Amino acid sequence: MKIRNSLLAYRWIIVVGMLLMTVAVRAPVRADNAGMMTPAPLATTDGGEIYHGLCQGCHMADAMGAHGAGKYPALAKDPALTSSTYVAITILAGRSNMPAFGVKHGAGAMFFSPTALGYEQIAAVANYVRTHFGNHYTDRIKAADVAALDKTI
Amino acid sequence: MTRRRLLSMIGLTAGSAAMYQAMTSLSLAAESNFKGPIQLTDAPKGASVLVLGAGIAGMVAAYELRNAGYKVQVLEYNDRAGGRNWTLRGGDRYTELGGATQECRFDPGLYINPGPWRLPHHHRGILAYCKLLKVALESYVQVNYNAYLHRAKAFGGKPQRFRTIKADYHGHVAELLAKVTQQKSLDSLVTAEDQERLLQSLRTWGALDQNYAYVKGEASADRRGYDTHPGGGLSGRPVQSDPIGLRDVLDSGLWEALPWGENYDMQTTLFQPVGGMGVIGQTFARELGTMIRYNAKVIDIHQDASGVSATFEDTGASMSRHTVSADWCVCTIPLSILKQIPLNVGRPMIDAIAAVPYAAAAKIGLQFKRRFWEQDEQIYGGITYTDLPITNISYPSTGFFGDGKGVLLGGYLFGANAMAFTAMSPEERVRKAVEYGSKIHPQYHEEFENGISVAWHRSPFTLGCFGAWSEEQRTKHYENLCQIDGRIVLAGEHASYLPAWQEGAVTSALDAIGRLHRRASEAGAKA
Repeated sequence: MKIRNSLLAYRWIIVVGMLLMTVAVRAPVRADNAGMMTPAPLATTDGGEIYHGLCQGCHMADAMGAHGAGKYPALAKDPALTSSTYVAITILAGRSNMPAFGVKHGAGAMFFSPTALGYEQIAAVANYVRTHFGNHYTDRIKAADVAALDKTI
Repeated sequence: MTRRRLLSMIGLTAGSAAMYQAMTSLSLAAESNFKGPIQLTDAPKGASVLVLGAGIAGMVAAYELRNAGYKVQVLEYNDRAGGRNWTLRGGDRYTELGGATQECRFDPGLYINPGPWRLPHHHRGILAYCKLLKVALESYVQVNYNAYLHRAKAFGGKPQRFRTIKADYHGHVAELLAKVTQQKSLDSLVTAEDQERLLQSLRTWGALDQNYAYVKGEASADRRGYDTHPGGGLSGRPVQSDPIGLRDVLDSGLWEALPWGENYDMQTTLFQPVGGMGVIGQTFARELGTMIRYNAKVIDIHQDASGVSATFEDTGASMSRHTVSADWCVCTIPLSILKQIPLNVGRPMIDAIAAVPYAAAAKIGLQFKRRFWEQDEQIYGGITYTDLPITNISYPSTGFFGDGKGVLLGGYLFGANAMAFTAMSPEERVRKAVEYGSKIHPQYHEEFENGISVAWHRSPFTLGCFGAWSEEQRTKHYENLCQIDGRIVLAGEHASYLPAWQEGAVTSALDAIGRLHRRASEAGAKA
């Protein structure tokens, strides 16, 4: 019984140790600093709130993008937004400098990873940008469409 | 104490050892590959190098290549050198993408470093250049036992001194392990002799009493401190403090922050340049003088059999367009920007440049009317960690006991929180940092004066903070990124195993120019 207990203890050491190792590897031991921060998922499903609470960090409040040594593309009057599928996939999986916001694509998993957006949020913000900033697309994408798209990429 | 809780406690202690081992074996905690000053001599006669970017990598490359005899020209987008090596002081202005301009209103001598802010003692490359350039260094305080650990939901939101959480966590773990040992539960793992040594070591490590218990007493007070500190005379009788119970320590989650100062990059001793990290870049720039052309926005990089040319716009008054050429090119432009610039290198390097995303981060500097953290709370340097979005409050490691104003790093945000702050106006970021910080230091309400914020995705010269490689991307692309492609080689923290650290920039530059010099020497005088 004693041996069994010891083995049990040993197994626990390994299991808990491994759990902590996962944490350690995922934590930003490399980069400049660590915190106890738990990345909080964005709570709202309002497309406008998501845009102005997140997307405008790069695309700017008026969706005009910005130019420095490099640039962030404008979304205002953007013909590339014609396809809601294109917009949703870009938000899900990222593109060029734009990070992926889909959970399946790494968002929200780690300390340094971008904000995670759910399918409903992605649909909402896609619909928002496609109906604001001089964009007047009339079709709407639904959370279920985004979910279906995510299965294909 | 349930068996389950007891066993998980053992796991926790085994975990911290296992964690370090895991980090080491994954080379997450490896020393940089700096092997002393580089010795490049005998550049081919008349050979020239174009360096793109006057950050740390670019300036190390330019400095060493010039000394080796190359004709070197450096193009820099900003109107200053240093790149992310940067200090904001009173009077400085910063315009972020989107056009918001902030003027830093700190008192003379006060500053924040929006980018790198500390130099581990084993980052020998960057330290060697500090010595070479006569940049004075002082101690940077990482671990401060009198700073706080804080979680909004732990201890009713009351911050706890690092000292007490550390002492109580270690003490309780030591007591538990001692119990397990005495119950002979480790017989199959540890010999009887070693069990005796283990018990002795647990008493020493955990500050246990004669009965291997972690209780209020001389031993524990010597670690966690006193309710009344020992002093002289009739009033000097010490009163020992009560340890926090195991359950409260565990439930608080504050133990998570205990090992951070033990991570390889954060181990004592660390340094900072006197006057701000940006002093390194400023001193480098003086050394290189007119070799650096400022306000030069590179818009095209082209190589052919005879050389490399870069076309740039002068972003100063003229907005004129120019092309400069050289035999070779060291390109240190961040990948976030380089991927947008036409560049004729091979597919593998193009794919590598495109692959690396840039991490989000933001920092906020706050000026207060007085150094209340020192005067009221006896916190001298170091970091308070919190689970609030600001994650850090870092106290200045310089100017101790000053009577004047003081500047704190009032927030250092990452990932999702950094993105949320990036979407705010600079003023809103400062306001939020004050709001969050006041939950730890209520003095904020009375003492706050002004602040400045840098959200790295709004930085016109980087579009992000640093190259956030995943292991998968690194396996696939890293070597392709670091190769010499024709006449072009890349350097910077993004071309290193030390992302975000200046040591990555230094060692990447040295590695790149060593190889480039060999290539150039082989090509001969008429490159």
